[in-house]
Amino acid sequence: MKILRFHFPLALLLTVGFFLPSVSDARVWTSTDGRKLEAIFESLEGDTITLKLRNGQKVKFSLSKLVEEDHEAAKRFDLVGDDAMTMASAKKIDYLLARNLGANEIKSFNERLPDDLFVRRIYLDVIGRIPTRDEFQEFTDSADEDKRAVLIDTLLASSGRASHLFNYFADMYRIRGDFRRELSYEPYAQWWRDSLESNQPYDEIVREMITADGNLGHNPANGFLQRDEGMEFDAFSNFGQVMMGIDVSCAQCHDHPFEEWTMHDFYQMAAFFGQTQRSTGNYMAASGGRYRASIPGAPEEWSQDFRKFTEKSGVDLDNRNERRQFGWYMTALGLNLADNDEIEIPVPKTIDEVGGSIMAPLTLYGDNANMSGKSRREALAEWMTSPTNERFALNIANRMWERAFGQALVEPVIDFPMNWEIHTGQPEVLQFLAQEMVRVNFDLREFMRILYNTQSYQGFSTYDRPVDEGAHYLFQGPVLRRMRAEQAWDSLLTLAYGSDIDHVYGGDGSFMRELLDVDFESDTMEEVFKKFEAYKKTRNKGEMVLAGTSTLTPSKPEVPVVDGIKMLRSSRLAQPAGGTTLLAEFGQSDRLVTDNHIFDGTVPQVLALMNGPVTTRLTGSSSQVVEDLSAFDGPDDKVRGVFFTMLSRYPTEEELKKGVAIMEEYGDDGVRDLAWVLLNTPEFLFVQ
Amino acid sequence: MKIKEIAGNNDLSRRIFMERTAKASLGVSVATTFGAALSQRAIAEETAGGGKAKSLIYIYCSGGMTHLDTFDPKEGNKEVMGDTKIINGKTDGMRFGSFLSGIAEVSDKVSVINSMSSTNGAHAQARYQMMTGYNQLATIVHPHIGPFAEKYFGKRNELLPDSVVVNRGTSNSGYLDPALSPLPVANPDAGIANSVMTTTEDRFKQRMEMSLDIGKNFVDKYQHYSSPKGYIEFYDQASQLLQSEELEAFDISGESNRQDYGMDKLGQGCLLARRLVENGVRVVEVHCGGWDMHNDIQGSMSNRLPSFDQAVSALIKDLDSRGLLETTMVVVGTDFGRTSRINDRAGRDHQPAVFSTMFAGGGITGGQTYGASDANGRRVGSDKVSVEDFHATIGYGLGVALDYEIYSPYGRPFVFGNHGKPVTSLFG
Repeated sequence: MKILRFHFPLALLLTVGFFLPSVSDARVWTSTDGRKLEAIFESLEGDTITLKLRNGQKVKFSLSKLVEEDHEAAKRFDLVGDDAMTMASAKKIDYLLARNLGANEIKSFNERLPDDLFVRRIYLDVIGRIPTRDEFQEFTDSADEDKRAVLIDTLLASSGRASHLFNYFADMYRIRGDFRRELSYEPYAQWWRDSLESNQPYDEIVREMITADGNLGHNPANGFLQRDEGMEFDAFSNFGQVMMGIDVSCAQCHDHPFEEWTMHDFYQMAAFFGQTQRSTGNYMAASGGRYRASIPGAPEEWSQDFRKFTEKSGVDLDNRNERRQFGWYMTALGLNLADNDEIEIPVPKTIDEVGGSIMAPLTLYGDNANMSGKSRREALAEWMTSPTNERFALNIANRMWERAFGQALVEPVIDFPMNWEIHTGQPEVLQFLAQEMVRVNFDLREFMRILYNTQSYQGFSTYDRPVDEGAHYLFQGPVLRRMRAEQAWDSLLTLAYGSDIDHVYGGDGSFMRELLDVDFESDTMEEVFKKFEAYKKTRNKGEMVLAGTSTLTPSKPEVPVVDGIKMLRSSRLAQPAGGTTLLAEFGQSDRLVTDNHIFDGTVPQVLALMNGPVTTRLTGSSSQVVEDLSAFDGPDDKVRGVFFTMLSRYPTEEELKKGVAIMEEYGDDGVRDLAWVLLNTPEFLFVQ
Repeated sequence: MKIKEIAGNNDLSRRIFMERTAKASLGVSVATTFGAALSQRAIAEETAGGGKAKSLIYIYCSGGMTHLDTFDPKEGNKEVMGDTKIINGKTDGMRFGSFLSGIAEVSDKVSVINSMSSTNGAHAQARYQMMTGYNQLATIVHPHIGPFAEKYFGKRNELLPDSVVVNRGTSNSGYLDPALSPLPVANPDAGIANSVMTTTEDRFKQRMEMSLDIGKNFVDKYQHYSSPKGYIEFYDQASQLLQSEELEAFDISGESNRQDYGMDKLGQGCLLARRLVENGVRVVEVHCGGWDMHNDIQGSMSNRLPSFDQAVSALIKDLDSRGLLETTMVVVGTDFGRTSRINDRAGRDHQPAVFSTMFAGGGITGGQTYGASDANGRRVGSDKVSVEDFHATIGYGLGVALDYEIYSPYGRPFVFGNHGKPVTSLFG
């Protein structure tokens, strides 16, 4: 290695040496009388702070004994935890990256992003929108040395983090609200939103999805397995892609062309779902019009009893419309996951060689799942999320890296080779990330916090050479990306209506959930019948909110509408937004297959930015930007203001001159022109 | 088509304008080159036999068109026909439901398949297969005909897109390059969305120049990435388009025969399709809804069918009078048929086992009926045509070699029509 020729940051890093997960990076706390204490933050309860010293001893005292700056830190750590390990881990990543970069004669990480470009990127990456002008100025004006780490923590602790992470998982897990006519899957989307909002560990999320029992009302996590109801083996193909980064879809019909998987292997692992009853199917079809089909997980006679009660209550099931509504409700209730060890789902007859056979469950690789005392799904969930299944941790670590750096360490993320080490430029980094994912117990917020604090992340996107030619990319910095459709939408909304949109929530599926949350053992028929009556009116209205459980009253979420546009961030709109929306125009995934977001440009996108409704609001005759800058004095400040608002950066001298020139030509009206100009430079749409 | 010179100081000649725009086109990325894959096309013509159709207008009836009341009426079978009257076509032996009087008049240009059969009884799945030729899967999205044809033949047009989807807000290219996505036109009256400048032309040009000027630093800095450059190209095209007469291909306001087509979205969509085909667009999908007639079939038909009949017959006549019918295939497709039993709400329910589709132009010999349903229109009686066969027939007309494989990004091979057999007897 040519360490000696290294430029500043890498050379320094290389002296750091090995990863020392100790308190050596711990914060130094200062008391109001000037004493110093190096310690790890443990907790904050009311006014009492608990710190852990190097020797492991814990000390408790009143927060008021510490200086003001430490109060801020304590409050921040209370939300996201101490950062000593975070910083040590980030350094270790930088060290591993640097060592390998050095071996490949790349002498430094990319130049550190200046504060203005950093604040734009970190807002976009963590909370999915650009900063407002106020947020931009607050950060750039701050003289705090730790302000980047502080901002990262603040954003990670805000609800915007979950909002933006939802967009990623919605694409990965193909979350749709409307894939069946009998019910809205909004409760499943909301379950994802809630799980991410509470920062539920990823392995837990996965275990819940794999093992979910009941219908959407009992457990909305069932949306994962119900997503492909009637296409069980397709569902398993998707399962492999998102959970293990293995695309076995080809092995559904023939052996995998590059790996060792055979059709046999595929159907053996799919057999973990071989005793999973997913639904009654279409209730009317399943009952042949005789109301005999039973619901998985419900007592055998329940459907018949409910049918009789319904008729007794005056519903005429000979009436076609009533019968149809009844059938839909029963179908929705019957999308009810249950394990049944008396059934086995055979391989479809249409498949050559293995068609019709019944397989014993066996994992694709590694030691088989431990089946004793567990249902097959429980065994699979345990095997999948076990720390010994390295591929599970690798897969999600690789994806989270892709989110931060714009490119994964090993690609494609849905199907990376078993011998991945030779298919990445930074094998040790990925290995370390997988270990870290396990160390942080699949806490994605903490994992992202590590990545955002690396020097590599905080540099410019690589621009001095192509990143996608020949050898594997080594990550001297991130890769330039176009905004996701959701980032573009949320940013345009922020520009037009301000950051208040962070706090507007739409529907939450709670009413739909309540209608389907039927306890087949203990609910009275009358109670269920009331739900059926309410269902008839709200079947398609997944956004409805439950106003009160006792009254079964739905209410529409209160969402402000301005210029005909719902003030909702993309994560809170219908999933996906579809139709003629800007989100669809900018390539939001249709959620039909995994990772289906499209990042390419089109002329219609450009036309929307040139002449669309948001542009009109920003730059039309009652321009939001003009109003926002009305208190600014003089053309210079106004021009700077427009740059802060639109591009979150300082103008160059030359740009300032050009801006001032247009202000001189049109007076204050020139603000409109400049805002239009900046919105319509490609720079606006990119994450640098 | 007239190409107006760009106004102002810019003295680009028509030739330079064409050269610039030829690099890319509306809705497609700069990577697609005009005229590619011509050799492939030559191979296709040798092997496929058909290939008279240079363009396709695919009129899609969402919801499931009742075959008995339209293209496959059952003479003297009151039980299945209900109150539907039957009329004669211009051609011997062709019968239509009485709502299709316009189509009956041009039946010498029209051929009907009455033995279509699908295995999908749910709308979304049935529609997916009718649009792509493939069954819906959870692991891949198949392209519609437009993107597939563009992949196969190469890009045809300069500034205009090769395929357009009318009466839909979005479109996609399936597993193919997103550059091949059809351009969506949600409303035929409005043309391309956001194509009206919000300021004066002079000020627009001033703004555009300034944004290119300020954007230059960024684009130069990231010169190793194609995407920022791509956006510069799109801005270039979009601003040319806004100031050019190419946009007029999408503007039906000046058409003198708008009333002939009917003023609803289907009629105007068909008119737009004709205008686009005239300007060189290869594939236009025109969507219309309102066919899911579970209730009151007679009432529903009196709302839906007259405007459908007017639009389709006007389109065929208009194409014919302009000499475009020979090279333009017009196809009517739908999710599935509807039951012969009239239900207790006087409607008809879903029936995928047999239904009808219609073809005209692009090498189709008119006046033919292919295949038949059984006496009550419940099952295929003879010469079953699967959805794959239906697609293969379209591909045959367009001159696509039906065994030519194209690949998804992960290497899965696909052919046009999913190995269906074309109904070649429809062609002269």
